[in-house]
Amino acid sequence: MKENITANTISPESLKTEYVSPENCVFGRNKNGFISATVNGKEYGRVILTRALPLAMPDDYICISDIDKNEIGIIEHTKVFPTEQQQLINEELGQRYYCPVITKIESIKEKMGHFYFDVMIGDFKKSFAVRDISKSIRQHGDAIDLIDIDGNRFRILDFEAIPSKSRRKLEPYLY
Amino acid sequence: MGKKKEKNPHPPKPEKGRFPKALMVELDKAGLDTKDLIFCCTGDMDNEACYCSAWLSFDKKGLYIALGEEEEIKTKRKNKRERPEPKFTVNKIQSIPIDDIDSLETERYVSTGRLIMKKGGEQISLIRFSVGKLAQFNNFTRAFNSFKDKGEAELPSSPEPDEHKCKKCGKLCPPGKDFCPKCNKKSSTALRLFKFFGGYIPQIILIIAIMLAGSAVNVFIPQISTRSLFDDVLANPNGLAAAELLKALGVLVLSIFGVRLLNTLLTVIQQYVTAAIMPKVVYDIKVKIFNAMQRLSVNFYSSKQTGSLMERVVRDANNIYWFFIDGVPALIIDTATVIGVVAIMFAMSWKLSLITIAAMPILFVGLFFGDKVFRRLHHRSWLYGARVSAMVSDNINGQRVIKAFAKEDDEFERFSKVSGDHTKADLKLSLTEATVFPILEIFVMGLSTVVLGFGGVMVARGEMTTGTLLSYIVYLEMLRGPFDFLSWISNWWARCADSAQRVFEICDAKPDITEKENAVSFDNLRGDIEINELEFEYEPARPVIKKLSLNVKAGDMLGIVGKTGAGKTTIANLIARLYDAKEGNVKIDGIDVKDLKLAELRRNIGLVSQDIYLFIGSIADNIRYAKPDATMDEVIAAAKAASAHDFIMKLPDAYETRVGAGGQKLSGGERQRISIARTIIQNPKILILDEATAAMDTETERNIQHSLTELKEGRTTIAIAHRLSTLRDADYLAVIEDGKIIEYGTFPELIKQKGEFYKQYKIQSEALKTIGIGTGIPADSKEDEQE
Repeated sequence: MKENITANTISPESLKTEYVSPENCVFGRNKNGFISATVNGKEYGRVILTRALPLAMPDDYICISDIDKNEIGIIEHTKVFPTEQQQLINEELGQRYYCPVITKIESIKEKMGHFYFDVMIGDFKKSFAVRDISKSIRQHGDAIDLIDIDGNRFRILDFEAIPSKSRRKLEPYLY
Repeated sequence: MGKKKEKNPHPPKPEKGRFPKALMVELDKAGLDTKDLIFCCTGDMDNEACYCSAWLSFDKKGLYIALGEEEEIKTKRKNKRERPEPKFTVNKIQSIPIDDIDSLETERYVSTGRLIMKKGGEQISLIRFSVGKLAQFNNFTRAFNSFKDKGEAELPSSPEPDEHKCKKCGKLCPPGKDFCPKCNKKSSTALRLFKFFGGYIPQIILIIAIMLAGSAVNVFIPQISTRSLFDDVLANPNGLAAAELLKALGVLVLSIFGVRLLNTLLTVIQQYVTAAIMPKVVYDIKVKIFNAMQRLSVNFYSSKQTGSLMERVVRDANNIYWFFIDGVPALIIDTATVIGVVAIMFAMSWKLSLITIAAMPILFVGLFFGDKVFRRLHHRSWLYGARVSAMVSDNINGQRVIKAFAKEDDEFERFSKVSGDHTKADLKLSLTEATVFPILEIFVMGLSTVVLGFGGVMVARGEMTTGTLLSYIVYLEMLRGPFDFLSWISNWWARCADSAQRVFEICDAKPDITEKENAVSFDNLRGDIEINELEFEYEPARPVIKKLSLNVKAGDMLGIVGKTGAGKTTIANLIARLYDAKEGNVKIDGIDVKDLKLAELRRNIGLVSQDIYLFIGSIADNIRYAKPDATMDEVIAAAKAASAHDFIMKLPDAYETRVGAGGQKLSGGERQRISIARTIIQNPKILILDEATAAMDTETERNIQHSLTELKEGRTTIAIAHRLSTLRDADYLAVIEDGKIIEYGTFPELIKQKGEFYKQYKIQSEALKTIGIGTGIPADSKEDEQE
């Protein structure tokens, strides 16, 4: 018979993950606009939220740490929090994981092993260069991330939703 | 005398940490007094992460954040490649009094960063920026904080982070390069490539002469094989008798054979001469790349995959080889053939030639679009192929893990999917080829038929002979090959130029670690090591070593302990100058390592790293790597000191056992012992043991420990270890955590302190006790064991 593996099977009590829920965790904003939290009655003036699975499950498994990066707990599903609390969490995550969103690809030119992109990010025209194209384009579901030579990331939220001309330009470089 | 033309004009670069003059003027207009600005930095976003131009600066009174726009004004420039002057518009300036700020700090997110000001324990967000600007913002933060603390701004000692802008045109440019690929024109790549052929000019002239002669013969063949055969012999215009006709036919056949033989001979000679010089050129290219790679620093190798570097030495050199051995000759022959054939066609019948020429644009348009489609399909097929190769390589390297987890079937499924995608891409390519080429074929066939039809009418009217028409058709067919070739030679050249660019990238790369012009040598090295306020980071805003200071007296042994990732190995790398510190310095005998001759420094530092690499060769060769002239007595003595002699003698080929890739399999501990022997034979004044005995059993470790204790006599030793028992002979111990020293002292002192070292020691001694091994810790620690 197949044994069900749980967190307790793998890790002993001392290493047990502290999952937080609306019952023991309330988020707020400090006066300077940063997200704060009260977890198990303890107040944290500023907390840092990080995603465990930023691409596959952006709303689940969110780690809460204090400003010294000590883990306070993990939110298993943000959906269980009240709407205004979810909004706070999403705003904070949105800032940390913000990627400029490409809405149109004007041109991709290959010159001597470098790929030069001219794209539109909303109404803003942005140019960037990519070195190793097969490693700098990351596909996850419908979304595509492009990483330029400086480490900046740009995202196409839904490849099928961008103009067909733009799709045709990028398509040869996708796996 | 004419005025000397300025080469590559571009606006002067602003001084380090300063804004361009035009911007200063605009900021002045907007009400910011720029006279006394201490340090400046340019951003690219506002506080809401919206793109705009941002300029940060500070003076004695405050910190200023200006937001606005920067655009390059396109004016009539004499040199089109000249970088246009930027125009600045300042929309908003935020001033914060300097007394309202305790300090500044940056935070790194996924694709952006944030500049935060601290005031009385509170954090206030000032501005966001793209993660690529992080290094510049860190310099700004450092300058501001040091000014706030000490009243003097600490300017970055490392060069200003690159703006990645071409010096000629201002467009994007690869990091570390002054010019973008467009300004670094292909012609210059071609010119550099042709320089490799500099020593073979007579052979090249001979090759071109033979090719042109071959083309002339080729063009002449249809005149004999078709026109003369039909018009002069088969049509029998002179009414010759059967025997004479047969004789004329024989002469003609022999002539055809002779001309074809001559053509083949010329081709053979050309190929022989080309083949004789090309391997030498490729050898020159490979040696040049390999030599350039040896000069580059460790950082260069960390940022590139081994596969990609191997490709440069092997595949890129071969791409250049095939272009020059196949492409260039074919280009010369085909160009000469097209010119010759078109000239003959016009001479034979200008009317038919006009029809042919009129149809050519349609053919070219077809070839142009076909080329675009095929490039895309070829590239996709190549990408899927690369993915299959990557998966095979991953699978082979991970075979032990795959088998340990019984994942063979899952791996097969994964491979089948990727391989299936590759097959689909190839299939699409083949189907497109199978559709497009017949269409082109039909078009050319149609053209030949039209020419044949018109030609037939001309023959019937007596304007042309049958032989001339048939040879005309042969000439028309002869154009197909060269046109086809000329349509894709540009792609071939692009691939060769691409490879050449990668080759030159290595040849031109500047090593991070360079030796100063007036570098000094040691007079008589004692081995004093002094580390002053050392700071280092592999990636911007992720410091690994933070203002670390240490002193090790000559002949002493310093033990460095700490958790994984604390920065222990980085300290060793910085002492050996495998990397350069961001701030602070490392001095040996009072001389900064940056002022020392590199070879001298490395010769005097023996580094036994935790990453052991044995080269392909015998064990003896590996041991004497640092001292190739070492005698066998020295090799054995070194092996004995490293406790390696006994296991080596048990191997069938003893010291002649082949190790490295494809050689004898050795355990981690055995490899480590050979690596120690290799360092011992070097006889360095400074010995760095970075987890040197980590892969050994306790008994072997103790044996080596005994040897190393003898070995450390008269030399400075730095030993890095997780296992504290390794460090019991250390004169001093430094406990590192998060890039800083948290505890320092002798073994008994640290035990008494009951800090981090004591905690680690206790955990380890308890663990060893459970498996029945004593810790061998000195008597001073007994009180703790009793507790």
